[in-house]
Amino acid sequence: MSFPHLHVASAYSTHYGVTLPEALAGQAAADGATFLAVTDRDGLYGAVKHVRACVAAGIRPGLGADLEVHDDDTLAPLGRVVVLAHGGSTEPSSTGQSSAGRGYAALCRAVSSAHETTVARPGHPPSIPRGRLAELAGLNSLTVLLGPASDVGEAVERRDNPGARANLVQWQRIMPPQSLAIEVVCHLAEPGMPGSVAPATRMLALAEYARLPAVLSNAVRYGTADEAVTADLADAARHLTPLAQLQEVTSLQVNGQAWLKPAAAMRQVARMVVDAGQHSDGALARLLRDTHDLAERCALDPVGDIGLGRPRMPEASVIGVTRDPLAELWARARHGIDERYADAGGRGLTAAHDRLAHEMATVESLGFASYFLTVATVADIVRDMGIRIQARGSGVGSVLNYALHTSSVEPIGNGLLWERFLSPERQTLPDIDLDVESARRHDIYRKVFETFGASRVSLMSMTNAYRGRGAVRDAGLALGMPDTQVATIAKQMWRFNARDFRAALAEKPELEELAAEVRESAQLDLLVDLTARLDRLPRHISVHPCGVILSDASLLDRTPVQASGMGLPMSQFDKHDMDPMGLIKLDILGVRMQSAMAHAVEEHHRLTGEHIDLDRVPLDDPATFELIRSIRTLGIFQIESPGQMELVGKLQPEVFNDLTVEISLFRPGPMQNNMPLRYLEARHGEVAPDYIHPRFEPILRETNGVVIFHEQVMRLFDELTGCGLGHADVLRRHLGKPEQLSVIEAYVRENALGRGFDARTIDRVWTVLAGFGSFGFAKAHGAAFALPTYQSAWLKTHHPAAFLAGLLTHDPGMWPKDLLVAEARVLGVPVLGLDVQHSALDYRVESVGAGQGIRMPLPELSGSSDAERARIVRHQPFTSLQDFRDRVHPRRRTFEALARVGALDSFIDHDRTRRHELLAHIQSLRGTAITIADDQLAFEVPLPVLDYEGPRFDTVTSLQLRGRTQSDLELLDTGLAVAGHRMRKYYPLFAELGVTPAAQLATLPGGTDVLLAGVRRATNTPPMRDGRRVVFVSLDDGTGPVANVVFFHDAQERIGGGVFQTELMLVRGRTRRSGARGVSVTGEGMWDLVTVARDRAREQAKALKAARAAALLDTEPAVAEGAAATAAARQPIRRAAGSGTTEFDLWQSA
Amino acid sequence: MPQIIDAPVQVELSADGDPRAFVWDRFEHTVIGQPQAVFTRTRWWENTGTPTRIDTELWRLDAAKGGEDQHRYDLRHDADGTWVLALDWG
Repeated sequence: MSFPHLHVASAYSTHYGVTLPEALAGQAAADGATFLAVTDRDGLYGAVKHVRACVAAGIRPGLGADLEVHDDDTLAPLGRVVVLAHGGSTEPSSTGQSSAGRGYAALCRAVSSAHETTVARPGHPPSIPRGRLAELAGLNSLTVLLGPASDVGEAVERRDNPGARANLVQWQRIMPPQSLAIEVVCHLAEPGMPGSVAPATRMLALAEYARLPAVLSNAVRYGTADEAVTADLADAARHLTPLAQLQEVTSLQVNGQAWLKPAAAMRQVARMVVDAGQHSDGALARLLRDTHDLAERCALDPVGDIGLGRPRMPEASVIGVTRDPLAELWARARHGIDERYADAGGRGLTAAHDRLAHEMATVESLGFASYFLTVATVADIVRDMGIRIQARGSGVGSVLNYALHTSSVEPIGNGLLWERFLSPERQTLPDIDLDVESARRHDIYRKVFETFGASRVSLMSMTNAYRGRGAVRDAGLALGMPDTQVATIAKQMWRFNARDFRAALAEKPELEELAAEVRESAQLDLLVDLTARLDRLPRHISVHPCGVILSDASLLDRTPVQASGMGLPMSQFDKHDMDPMGLIKLDILGVRMQSAMAHAVEEHHRLTGEHIDLDRVPLDDPATFELIRSIRTLGIFQIESPGQMELVGKLQPEVFNDLTVEISLFRPGPMQNNMPLRYLEARHGEVAPDYIHPRFEPILRETNGVVIFHEQVMRLFDELTGCGLGHADVLRRHLGKPEQLSVIEAYVRENALGRGFDARTIDRVWTVLAGFGSFGFAKAHGAAFALPTYQSAWLKTHHPAAFLAGLLTHDPGMWPKDLLVAEARVLGVPVLGLDVQHSALDYRVESVGAGQGIRMPLPELSGSSDAERARIVRHQPFTSLQDFRDRVHPRRRTFEALARVGALDSFIDHDRTRRHELLAHIQSLRGTAITIADDQLAFEVPLPVLDYEGPRFDTVTSLQLRGRTQSDLELLDTGLAVAGHRMRKYYPLFAELGVTPAAQLATLPGGTDVLLAGVRRATNTPPMRDGRRVVFVSLDDGTGPVANVVFFHDAQERIGGGVFQTELMLVRGRTRRSGARGVSVTGEGMWDLVTVARDRAREQAKALKAARAAALLDTEPAVAEGAAATAAARQPIRRAAGSGTTEFDLWQSA
Repeated sequence: MPQIIDAPVQVELSADGDPRAFVWDRFEHTVIGQPQAVFTRTRWWENTGTPTRIDTELWRLDAAKGGEDQHRYDLRHDADGTWVLALDWG
């Protein structure tokens, strides 16, 4: 006989349950269960995964939620109950409506209602008013289980029988008939403890007294008994308290029995509970039968009740369509084609219309017309708001999307395929991603909610799972280890999974020190195991960065929602739940590069009045390609990383399609399969392109015979077998599944022979296809990425100041801002320092002489407040320091920081030396704190510092300024060195050591021994063909683009943790040429530059001292000697850099 | 007076998993009535090694040897599967 578990928290009850739904369902089925409910805390977070897991395991799912309840009027808490959804019947009832889905809808609404409390009463956990619960439980929709955590169970626990009965009467009075059951839970705890047999048997007696059904549950938190340890960790994490300090009983589970016990063990528990009290005859059988009966009522039909796999789109009327959506779509699409292909000539136009007809046939057969209209409506909304938008993903392959202006990449000319996006063979819902300006994303969401109505729209959530650092922190917290110790370990937890912590300790050279400590300490050893247990468990949910769910008015009957951080409702389901739930998800992704480009266009317009329409910039501008080929790609979308720079250097793009190819090649799959090298060889004519067979040439010509794109694989399949492109895409997907390969091969061989291909050709092409696997890239993605790549390159080429202002404001790329500032300097765009007279809230372009410069904005000053910055901008310009103080009233900290970085220099005639007195003066100001109005009047009285009579008060030296360069000061207060590069102060040292400037690296032949130095700007560990880790460090010395240093395994072992940790470094290595313009350095040794500089200074001081001492001992000959030594110390001998190269004069220009 | 025994015993389980009898000191003791299991948590983080269980399993039951008076016993079931007669409550 089986046992149905009715109260089970999955791992999606974060910091509570610890077993994933798939494991729970599998375990239940293996024990012979035919039913399993998942009742997560405060939500249906694991619901869809549970239902799918049950379908896969062949058992019936139940769904519920473990919710807190409160009294409607008094708001008094009534404890926690389990709310279970009833299954419905598809047969129409007497009222003519089928009850299918009613219970599930009521459950969704109940969960959403509980979360409304958190909005109404901030800081309060989710809780549902009992009256609302009663309302939803009507029409036989829900059963509420009153268990040990309810007000009834709590009274029973403290042996308050009258109280328990009174509480139960309240429930019976308010809840509809047959919606209540008593939940008996017994964890076989010690007598006298909660979870022991005595309160359980008293609950059973209470049910008998009140004539309510009693059901047995195990209030499950984990699948197996040994996962109880993990649940202890979850408790510690939930309470943010070490296990040793947690209150047993109230905060810590009483023992480890809350596992998904098999039927036999549950019956054992039932016997013990019944035996422990005085119950009527047949109590045991009744308890088990009532449990089974309730499970029967709560078994849900995945399709009928939950609506699994049934897509629902917004009603046509919502998007302003009054006629048949298909007819509407046809009309709009035809019109769009005529407009988009107006310049394409007759043949091009006909081809576009043919393609449209082909696509529309699929849309019609799948019934997706509303979907396309909906997405186009959203795109229109965005454009009407004046926000940049660009479609991405396989939807870009559709001429229909192009015609509707959903996408801006022309698909036919770019060789993109509709079938990669949608075909009758595809089982999943279509997916179109819209990239928009990141800074305006929330405005778009609000507008979409407004347009479609809050009953049809929700944001999507995402489940954040434990990764290394979080896992080690929470495990360390549970063990009560010191924060600093845990933080030190957490810092090293990267680039490997927490599950593999032990293996990583054994393998990674930089972890050797930690590994030694682990061997010594039992506690650390335990920490390693516990960390591994937490890895991958859901940790919390948050709003997905881009997912917006659009549906019809039934949305809130199908998904519970809760408030997201930004206030808009968010579904409790994540992206994996969308397709099964038939929810249409639109990815509206905020892309910072789009914001950066919009900012650049805006700045250009502000300064010149000219408007740049980026979407109409010709795609064949020679200067733009020249810039890209020079690999000065810093800041350009997609191609700015060190690896991309290297590939761009080798590939030397000449036309737009080259960018698509480049972006598609730079992916883990193609890289690991050596595709870039094969492509480059053929591209540069080192080998002849191999098309395998003349019939493949049209397919492979654009990539010189190398298969790169999904679209090419699809075409090859189609050419070989005549299967049609839709089925070809199915075959392509299956290439990634090793078990499918032989089936596909047989299919290909059989059909290809019949279509006139010889066995040898088939052998060869099959080897290519099988090797391709699921790697490669959809060309649609590549082309969609290539467009902003080109647009940003074009801006960098023609409007560098505006472009860099955009980059610095929106920070879209991988590089730190300080490097972008350095890049501006190299490009000849002056970056102007912070100045209260000119600085705005974002980076602005200013005219400087005949050219343009970029002004640092106020928010870069760390520690200043929004209100202060707003006042500065509002009251600019200022006539005097007094005026500034009166109208802005900065806090002391801000005031001093402004003075230090020079933002107040306009008040001291831009005489830097006077900053000491300015700062001293500001520091001497005394006054009481006042609250000021924004429109404070100012008095034009100069502050006394400028009014000194007599000689200048220049004996003041501020310790905050002394010995610090302007760059030092800027770095301290803004993190950005604007006046000069932060490496500049080391240039004399570089000259002395013979360090090669990064800008000169490209002039050296391969194999040259060099010294490099600079500040670390990026660290990468790209995937490598042989699987051994290689560390790329990008060094910036201020002379030009970053120099990339590669540390191979042996060098990493020699250097240890410094490979990842040293910020300013000196590197010895050897140049390695890659392609026409590319050069990198293989690192052999590495030193901390700060230490080198300090040691060097000490040596020189010592030499100087020795020389002076010698001079004192013996005057005559030693004077000359001493002078020579002094000269040597002061003017170090300049060595030639590298071997056999001339010395570099770049350091002198400093 | 409870008496500490602390001796490993052979336990025979019934079809539904409860102890039915145990052999202690060569004599079979037959369990009478419904035995009760008690699981008590351990402070595992204070011990070395990662535990597979966080609690100890103890069965409190009444049993009689032949026709003698029944006694109350505590049987401990260890993680390695062995049974230990912990206490004789008399």
